Amino acid sequence: MTTPAPFGGLAQETRICAHCGYCLAGCPIYQAVGWESASPRGRMAIAAALVHGNALSAEAAQRLYECTLCGHCRTVCPTRIDTLATWLEARQRLADQSALDRLPLGRLRDNLCAAHNITGEPAENRLLWQEELSLAPALLNARPGAQVVYFVGCVAALYGQGHAIARAAVEIFHRADLDFTTLGSAEWCCGFPLLGLGLPEEAAAVARHNLAAVRALAGQAVVTTCPSCFHMWRDVYPALLGGPIGVEVMHAGELLARLIAEGRIAFRPLPGRVTYHDPCDLGRNSGVYDAPRAVLQAIPGLELVEMADHRKHARCCGGGGNLEAINPDLAGELARQRLVQAVETGATLLVTPCQQCKRTLATAARRERVRLRVLDLTETVVQALA
Amino acid sequence: MANPLCHPPLAELLGDRYTESPFERSFYQRDLAVVPHSLARLIGQTLPDAVARPRTAEEVAAIMRYAGERKLAVTPRAAGSTTFWNAVPLHGGLLLDLNGLAGLAALDTDHLTADVWAGTRWADLERALRRRGFAVLAYPTSAPAATVAGWFCMEGHGIGSLKYGGMAGHVAGLEAVLADGHIAQIAAATPDAPTVAELAGSEGTLAVITRIRLRLRPAPAAVGHHLLRFRDMATLQAAALDLSTARPTPYYLHFADDACGRLLTQAGFPPPADGALLAITYDGAAAEVAAGAATVERAAAQTAGEELPAAAAARAWDERFLALHLKRAGPSVLGTEAWLSVSQLAAYTANVARLARRQNLPIATYGMVVAPGMATVMSLFGCDDARPLAYLLALSLTGRLYEIAFRHGGRPYGIGVWNTPYLGRAFAAEELTAQRRRKQAFDPANLLNPGKRYAPPALLWPPTFRLGMAALAGIRRIGRRWLR
Ligand SMILES: Cc1cc2nc3c(=O)[nH]c(=O)nc-3n(C[C@H](O)[C@H](O)[C@H](O)COP(=O)(O)OP(=O)(O)OC[C@H]3O[C@@H](n4cnc5c(N)ncnc54)[C@H](O)[C@@H]3O)c2cc1C
Ligand code: SF4
Ligand code: SF4
Repeated sequence: MTTPAPFGGLAQETRICAHCGYCLAGCPIYQAVGWESASPRGRMAIAAALVHGNALSAEAAQRLYECTLCGHCRTVCPTRIDTLATWLEARQRLADQSALDRLPLGRLRDNLCAAHNITGEPAENRLLWQEELSLAPALLNARPGAQVVYFVGCVAALYGQGHAIARAAVEIFHRADLDFTTLGSAEWCCGFPLLGLGLPEEAAAVARHNLAAVRALAGQAVVTTCPSCFHMWRDVYPALLGGPIGVEVMHAGELLARLIAEGRIAFRPLPGRVTYHDPCDLGRNSGVYDAPRAVLQAIPGLELVEMADHRKHARCCGGGGNLEAINPDLAGELARQRLVQAVETGATLLVTPCQQCKRTLATAARRERVRLRVLDLTETVVQALA
Repeated sequence: MANPLCHPPLAELLGDRYTESPFERSFYQRDLAVVPHSLARLIGQTLPDAVARPRTAEEVAAIMRYAGERKLAVTPRAAGSTTFWNAVPLHGGLLLDLNGLAGLAALDTDHLTADVWAGTRWADLERALRRRGFAVLAYPTSAPAATVAGWFCMEGHGIGSLKYGGMAGHVAGLEAVLADGHIAQIAAATPDAPTVAELAGSEGTLAVITRIRLRLRPAPAAVGHHLLRFRDMATLQAAALDLSTARPTPYYLHFADDACGRLLTQAGFPPPADGALLAITYDGAAAEVAAGAATVERAAAQTAGEELPAAAAARAWDERFLALHLKRAGPSVLGTEAWLSVSQLAAYTANVARLARRQNLPIATYGMVVAPGMATVMSLFGCDDARPLAYLLALSLTGRLYEIAFRHGGRPYGIGVWNTPYLGRAFAAEELTAQRRRKQAFDPANLLNPGKRYAPPALLWPPTFRLGMAALAGIRRIGRRWLR
């Protein structure tokens, strides 16, 4: 396990790459595709060509986007390259070469830039998940002075499969007597997909908007159910905005663990065997491994079993890095491979604290006709509430 | 419209695990060595004509039969974590990417063996075995990348070799596809096939290994790490010799000179301590580990070695796969790896240090004691391949480093392409003749990994090579200041 050295820019880092192959074993894309071009060191060679201003062929550009930004390569690289920063700079250079329109990524960019979400839907659709809730909209949406702002995220707000997560989260917060609200329809996509497209300036604009919205409510903390939103808020926004953002940032897994420790939520037994999937942006890329596990372990009757690859070794579900936009079949294959590991544990329930992981893994389970329930952590907790 | 395929039967056999795409093929032209394009072109055709990713011995056999009919060169390649172009084609042809032939096929807990597919990475294997309460006997310091067969086809000495011997001795049998396409199950000696011992170190030139039966051990119950600091390499050498022959035998005995520490610091990763360092690990029963600790204490007292805190020792062990940290002092590194007597270590490093001073260039030396009295020794220095002329001239230093190793009875560790000029000095004449005879017997058409191991390519014929190296060294001497 290595920690990256300060990023020295694409030109330097691509030359430091030793071509050693340490990054082959854990790269989910390389494992699924099999060609060297799809490996991190292959991607390094492609990125090196960008340094000289060369325009890349479509297949080379495609390989740079066929990466879930899962961060596994960064944890094993013996030359301590910040591979994620490398991929992002490479994508930025590609975006500057108008690659997004040559690849099937132009639509995603347009959705993000025009509608400020990944699907391109109108902003008011962000509230659809609230329809069956008994909580008053005035409480839920943009309530000034609320201590905690729940940042819902595009997948929970705009995908049918995600709605249950947002609903579960607010129900738990309500039961725990948490002083919270959301940004309602003023929430914009956190900017992670923009960053992944190679558009850091657009991502910074989003960061400015979201932070201003939270500050306007005088919120002191932001909690997310999406690990990528969490990673953006906690680690990337300060970098994009040039300094600390002045609000505490938590993932729901951390907040739930805290609420349990404070005795603000209690459980009834929920018997079963559960396995836990570490989302890349929560585990490897943000270092949060224990809190969500502690939540599951606090539920009486639930037996936690680990997959062969877990914690820092956890395999990606395929949902990150805009992979679904550029190669949905490959994203599906990654989810299938992760599902196989979950099934091998003998668990009947697969829990992940991520709306995107839940979506990809649940879709894979349906496609593979596997008898394994896939739930978000909040959905699991809400079922076990006393 | 896509170009018609040159080898449709292979595409039919392997489907999307076969490619002739120029884009895909271009990624198989190198290993860790950075070689300027202009020089690479002079050595051979490094771009394979096609890449195949077989998943079974039967597929490998069908490919070999096809290659035999058409006299196609076949380069077996796994992680490509070597540095001498061992797995880089020199004659185009077919590149066999064996990374997909991976996994633990069977575990025999009664006889303590595991059947492992050739492309299984050491770190993956060790992790899978540890989960079941077992461990491999030895593995290379490139374990996160290197494959079981890749290391077997090289010289196979690394972590654990001092205690358990080289990898060749850990192989209870194997499956290999011979050049004629027949699948052989090879025990110690099998008629009409190379023996296990002959295949070890054969660098993919005698057969394609598809599966290996490896001897194992129960996962050790205890482990103990130590780190000693010495005032110089002479005292370190004395301690290393002592510890390598004393009982219990260390599982890991790694040394680094102080220049190594300085280069690491320059790279931004200061080592656990400065000075000449000897890292020692014992594993096994608790009593063995405790006895190891007492041995280290005694050896340290006798050689004026200073035992460093446990955390530093643990860190040295944790970083055993991370020698490539040094690359940040580059961005490129060049160097040599030699098989050398431990009794020559101090004299060798003193000569290397002298060379480093003369060249005004830090050269790091580190390595492992891997057999009684014997070590693998790396000497590395930073350079910049973006400055092709300076880089070419820096290449001449590798020749000087090997000369130092030869002067101390050493030889290059691994041959590939780049060490072929030293063949005549690395092996006794009879041994070399036997190796060439074996190649002729088992691969008469020279299909498997041609251009490696047995004879240098034209540009690297020893007289030409020596002349070239001397010229580069001369130019480097004259132009050093200007180049810097
Ligand atoms: C950081 C680092 C540390 C290292 N540490 C050590 C060490 O401790 N000890 C040591 O000995 N070496 C070490 N090496 C070099 C070492 O030789 C390789 O890491 C390893 O042995 C090669 O494995 P590979 O899977 O990468 O094989 P490759 O490099 O792909 O191939 C090596 C050779 O084997 C042949 N080959 C590969 N697979 C097959 C097969 N299935 N059938 C037939 N031929 C095959 C190839 O043609 C080639 O000639 C190190 C290298 C690095 C980069
Ligand atoms: S692990 Fe790092 S240095 Fe090694 S090939 Fe991958 S990116 Fe390059
Ligand atoms: S970030 Fe993940 S998917 Fe991307 S290259 Fe690294 S290991 Fe592969």
